[in-house]
Amino acid sequence: MKVLELNNVHKVYNTTHVEVHAVNDVSLEFEEGEFAAIVGPSGSGKTTLLNMIGGLDMPTDGQIMVNSTDLSTLRSSAIIDFRMRNIGFVFQSYNLIPVLTAKENIEFIMNLQKWPRKKRDDRTLELLKAVGLEDRIHSRPSQLSGGQQQRVAVARALASKPRFVLADEPTANLDTKSTENLLDIMEKLNREENITFIFSTHDARVVKKARRVITLEDGKVVSDEKKE
Amino acid sequence: MITKTAWKNVWRNRIRSLVVVASVTVGIFAGVFAVGVMNGAVDQRLDEVLDNEVAHIQITHPDFRTNNDLTFKIDDVNEIVEHISGLENVDAVCDRLFVVGMANTARKSTGVHIIGINPEKEKEIFGLYKELEPGTGDYFSDPEREELAYIGFDLAKNLNIIRYQINDEIIEELRSAELPDDILSEISEFNGERFENEMSFKKAMRTVMTVKQESEYGRLILDKAQTFRERAKFTLTFVNRSNHQTGGVFRVGGIYNIPNSMFESSQVFVRDTILRRLIEFPENTAHQIIIRLYDVDDTREMTRKLREDFPELEVLNWKQIQPDMAMMSDFAGIMYGFFMALILAALAFGIVNTMLMVVLERTKELGMLTAIGMNKKKVFRMIMTESVFLSLTGGVAGMIVSWIIIRITSTRGINFGSMEEGFEAMGFSSQIYPDIGIDFFMIVTLLIILTGILSSVYPALKALKLDPADALRTE
Repeated sequence: MKVLELNNVHKVYNTTHVEVHAVNDVSLEFEEGEFAAIVGPSGSGKTTLLNMIGGLDMPTDGQIMVNSTDLSTLRSSAIIDFRMRNIGFVFQSYNLIPVLTAKENIEFIMNLQKWPRKKRDDRTLELLKAVGLEDRIHSRPSQLSGGQQQRVAVARALASKPRFVLADEPTANLDTKSTENLLDIMEKLNREENITFIFSTHDARVVKKARRVITLEDGKVVSDEKKE
Repeated sequence: MITKTAWKNVWRNRIRSLVVVASVTVGIFAGVFAVGVMNGAVDQRLDEVLDNEVAHIQITHPDFRTNNDLTFKIDDVNEIVEHISGLENVDAVCDRLFVVGMANTARKSTGVHIIGINPEKEKEIFGLYKELEPGTGDYFSDPEREELAYIGFDLAKNLNIIRYQINDEIIEELRSAELPDDILSEISEFNGERFENEMSFKKAMRTVMTVKQESEYGRLILDKAQTFRERAKFTLTFVNRSNHQTGGVFRVGGIYNIPNSMFESSQVFVRDTILRRLIEFPENTAHQIIIRLYDVDDTREMTRKLREDFPELEVLNWKQIQPDMAMMSDFAGIMYGFFMALILAALAFGIVNTMLMVVLERTKELGMLTAIGMNKKKVFRMIMTESVFLSLTGGVAGMIVSWIIIRITSTRGINFGSMEEGFEAMGFSSQIYPDIGIDFFMIVTLLIILTGILSSVYPALKALKLDPADALRTE
């Protein structure tokens, strides 16, 4: 089932005297349960594309359809609500709330969605087990390693069972062991929960795990390979 | 969850938050305690006015108050008093004679108001008899002695009825009161000497004491050294009903001491029987009818009723007789609220500054929160809650400290002895017992919450303007 569709998407930044085409006429489709990596050199438009898919940024031209909803037709408050219900985010620098414990960070989004306590607790525990951190439930981010923090961030992204997870360079700050561990967890959750994962990365280890690799150069898609 | 996160966020930068909390605590304490002292002073003054000076309602001839001419009298006083006594809400009623005259001793004379009273009835309305300075008399306790007068402490000083002396007994008393030995030995030089008035005594003391010693122990020495000329004689002169100069020799039957030097130096109380005879006034007449109610809150209604019952007389309540006091009493609450609002407004700038720092420091985190779906309303609420917590923590701490200090000082009192003369000239006691109602604490709590909310508006709006994509790129 198609969950995401990009039609002739452009993003132009107007800097002083110069127009920069960060994303240039990109058209893509994503099916439910994909595990896709967007790769390309720095400045190729990966993060801009991911931001537009996540509704954090709007295209200058073109259309982004998520579950048949055109994001550009939504008001800003509706986009925030849309993100909360449909998209999970994983950031390069984890971005956990430092004053909250692992459990509280994970259930934050469920709280925003007013999930009942029991359901919230069950889901949090399920995710903590899935990312192998059930023994760090009450640890704050400062008490966790980088890899552990990113695993909590992945659990948070999946907490409210979104349609898809957008991960911007999720392994950039991790060592090899933590990267492999994180990728295994994400792949497992992708398969178990059938949630679409889209990464921006230039990490070869992520590319190797991805089942679809989209390559961007100067804002344009230069290749789109699906692995069997 | 937002509330819990906001509370945890307050303590993210512990030192900075503690500095803000401490400044709010100090500000609130200063404000609440100052209001407690002011309120205590106003309440004491009000009690003084009602209990010793004015009571709740006074009735006079319509022209009497303008020029205090004794011919403007109330006739059929007994019937009027009986009628008023029968009214619901009336605790006690008495009538008085009132004459303007002169009090004279061999050395001094001064203008006074001579008030003819029935001492037993007066006791039902005024508490002035309780303010008797020990050892000066017994407040008209002997019904046979018509010549006794009850005078104020300041008048006694003015008439040189109070003298000062140093003797062995006083030196021993001062030693027991722990007066330092060096001062004791200095003032022993004056053992056996008597001084006619306070000024000459103080002058003598200054020759043996430093300014610091005087400010520290002067009051104590003055209090111990004062002696009263028992049953001291003085004359009161005035004009009678026929406009002839008259008067009588009186003896001091007691000296009252209240924190109102103006009242003390001008009001002389004598038995109404002797004054009536001296001014040749007929029975069943008086100049003033004084009324005390069970509840001061009934004053306005009772004034209205008495005006209806006695349209030919002037009926004034304490607020009309002492408008300055009424204004103080009526506007005190507004004044205190305004005072606290000013303090909180100053504190608000500190809170705004802190919250702006918070937004600046957490730009990336706020971007992340918006990205994962925290809407603007919730971001605003989180920052506002944080600001309210910050101000309320300091506010509650400040109120607890104030409450404890006010509780302690409300029983012990605070002595502004060095400013006694100034206080008493305005009718205020220099011993102030701070007092504050629970309702004021509730108002302050609301003001603190309001300050927290208002202080958060600008920083929260700044947070709402953040673009999540830009905010996430912030390092």
